Amino acid sequence: MVQWSNSQLPPPSSLGVSDVVFSWKSRLRPSLLANARKQGYRVYVEAPLQQATAAAEEGARAGWTGLLLNIPESERKGTRTAATRLRSAYPKLKFLVLGTIGKQPQMRGSLVIKNDSVLEVSSPTAQPWIDTNLAAIKVEQRRNQAQVPLYTFAWVTSKQGQQRSVTASDYSLAVAEAGAFHADVVLQLDKRLQRALTNHDPEAWALWSQVRSTANFYSDLTDGGLQPAANVAVVVDRLDTRDEALNLLARHNIPFQVFLAADLNAVGVGDFNLVIVFAKPDKVAAEHIASLVTRGKTVVLVDAHSSYPWHSNQPIQLNEHTVSYLLGTGKILELSEPVTDPEAFAQDIRRLLGKRDALLSLWNGLTSIAVGYKDHSGALKAIEFVNYATDPIRVQVQVKGSFTSIRYETPEHGCCQSLVPVTHDSFTEFVIPELRIAGRAHLDSQ
Amino acid sequence: MRFDNRWAAVLLVSLFSFGPSVQSSDRQILVYQKKYIMGTVFEIAAYSGSSEQASFAIEKAFHEIVRIDDLMSNYKPESALSHLNQSAHFHAESVPPDLYCVIQQAVQFSKLSDGKFDITVAPLVNLWKAALLGDSIPSAAQQQQAEACVGYEKIALTPPDQISFQSACLQLDLGALGKGYAVDRAVATLYSLGIYNAFINAGGSTIFAMGSPPGQTSWLVHLRDPSHKVGPYVMLSNESVSTSEQSSASLLGRDSAGHIIDPATGRPLKTEFAVSVIARTATLSDGLSTTLLLLGPMQGKSLVNRTPDTSAIWLSPKAQIETAIYGPQILFGKL
Repeated sequence: MVQWSNSQLPPPSSLGVSDVVFSWKSRLRPSLLANARKQGYRVYVEAPLQQATAAAEEGARAGWTGLLLNIPESERKGTRTAATRLRSAYPKLKFLVLGTIGKQPQMRGSLVIKNDSVLEVSSPTAQPWIDTNLAAIKVEQRRNQAQVPLYTFAWVTSKQGQQRSVTASDYSLAVAEAGAFHADVVLQLDKRLQRALTNHDPEAWALWSQVRSTANFYSDLTDGGLQPAANVAVVVDRLDTRDEALNLLARHNIPFQVFLAADLNAVGVGDFNLVIVFAKPDKVAAEHIASLVTRGKTVVLVDAHSSYPWHSNQPIQLNEHTVSYLLGTGKILELSEPVTDPEAFAQDIRRLLGKRDALLSLWNGLTSIAVGYKDHSGALKAIEFVNYATDPIRVQVQVKGSFTSIRYETPEHGCCQSLVPVTHDSFTEFVIPELRIAGRAHLDSQ
Repeated sequence: MRFDNRWAAVLLVSLFSFGPSVQSSDRQILVYQKKYIMGTVFEIAAYSGSSEQASFAIEKAFHEIVRIDDLMSNYKPESALSHLNQSAHFHAESVPPDLYCVIQQAVQFSKLSDGKFDITVAPLVNLWKAALLGDSIPSAAQQQQAEACVGYEKIALTPPDQISFQSACLQLDLGALGKGYAVDRAVATLYSLGIYNAFINAGGSTIFAMGSPPGQTSWLVHLRDPSHKVGPYVMLSNESVSTSEQSSASLLGRDSAGHIIDPATGRPLKTEFAVSVIARTATLSDGLSTTLLLLGPMQGKSLVNRTPDTSAIWLSPKAQIETAIYGPQILFGKL
């Protein structure tokens, strides 16, 4: 989706976008919306929940496609009821919840030059710092299972004391991130770009052509019901898209799925190798955890002080803050404090998974995030890659399973280049010769 | 999964003077660019009268860093270093001048530190890297086998460009020096293209301050402070600072392997200190920061004393401070 504010709009066939979003906050020009509809766009209006009824009234009259309900994180609790009420009152309109906590995807440097003349290096990190929305998308996937996660973000246009323009790579990366992680993004187009596109500026259209090819790369995708592959379950007591521990798990390419504490019983034995619990389990949940562990799983319990059934076993003190209990063929680790160092925690989780249970590993992929997708049978069928550095890199990939065919496609070169798989010890390795921003590997085992 | 073996960062603050008088008199334009090279983010902020000139110079500086990476990466099978690691065992190989220069300097560091700094430590690093990834701690036999492959004395240098290894399993890893050398090359490139006031940051762990911001005499750099209490900083002009620190402790494990291996013990170094070193070149600050972390303050101070125009600070999470000041002053306190 593209957010638009300029008084004129290029035709959808040129823009390559069917869904256009206008803001309720800015003065809506009914003629612009009507014209957009006439041009063939599906017209959405973004409105805060408090003004949703007024907007819906207007939308129903004017024939808009729907409303994007812009609801802050703190007010998300009553969202479902409000949306249901609106849907029943205005059945012809679509109501989508818009996450507003998105951030511009990017590889960040550590140098910061502020407007007040101060320059500083941010916190130390073992890896290039990537701003990614993957963790937030995973939280949204759990929060609202009826809707594809939808988010937007503001561009960082003032950087290191310079005003910078949003580039084709910036737009493409944002599109790639949403596409690769099976989410929708409302792309806020720079006003100058909107004007230039309307005025048939060749430079603007050259930029947009790159963005469009990335968008096409994902819009052409028929995923056949593929689901994200995950072997780590993360159980939380409240959904928070800003949780830094989840963010770091995502950045370390640890394939996880988010559950609420109430869902813990749904975490089956066969699905996950490791369960991280950021909630205090009640008696029933504790029994379920014990049952998972007895059958060979590893459970990490974070800052959840209580008396649990496994405490009758011999504790093994691992360090000042962590105690381990062996139970059946599995183990429970209890960390007695909140996660103080999310980077170290993510590395610990990868270590706990071990080589045997690593679904996906990248070499030379410090600026890349990869998400595997599986079919109904649980077989890994595709891997989506996003490179936040936006400069071409060569990435070595290792996936769990034996695959005989790897086909690689990109927005630049289309489908598909055959890559050579090397299989050993139930793992397949292959090399992606060039990952610029987006890439997809199709895996086959026949 | 690639591990960046130099990750400790430096906190840096520069008090730019963007005041109208300075800007209008100098008309200096700040251009900033970043690029992912050598497993980290290189950033360059440069002042110039022309943004085109600054952009061009920064681009050329990045090209130079990429060229150095192409020579010295041990992750790239086609690099000159990888070729050397494959073919120099009991056989002299000609290497490009940059590679020869860095290896020669590395051997100097090894001699100065009685082998604490050693670019042949790769077999041990790899062994412990595997441990970090979840394998069990190396066995005594594995440890012994790796140790047999380590020793800078087994590197034979024949000027102007010949190198051979007097061991069948010697491998070089320039991770502790390559970034610093690349920064120095980038500085030289910027100078050659008329840029005299710039700031180069190699992932936070090695920084070079060229000249000064407009209207200032130096760049103010805040140093890594694991205690968050001391607030050390330095004023730099045409000087470099590098910081080394062992990897963070594991939250869920018994022990962390850590990415810095002590060649003397063959095991990951155990230290709580973060070390920052200020020196005339980035190669020197980069090499010294690892060396001084390995040596510790007692022996390290003596080495700093023997190295002209150099200062160093060891700082622990409990705010234990040790300094050796034979170059730029290290100052303390919140600004």
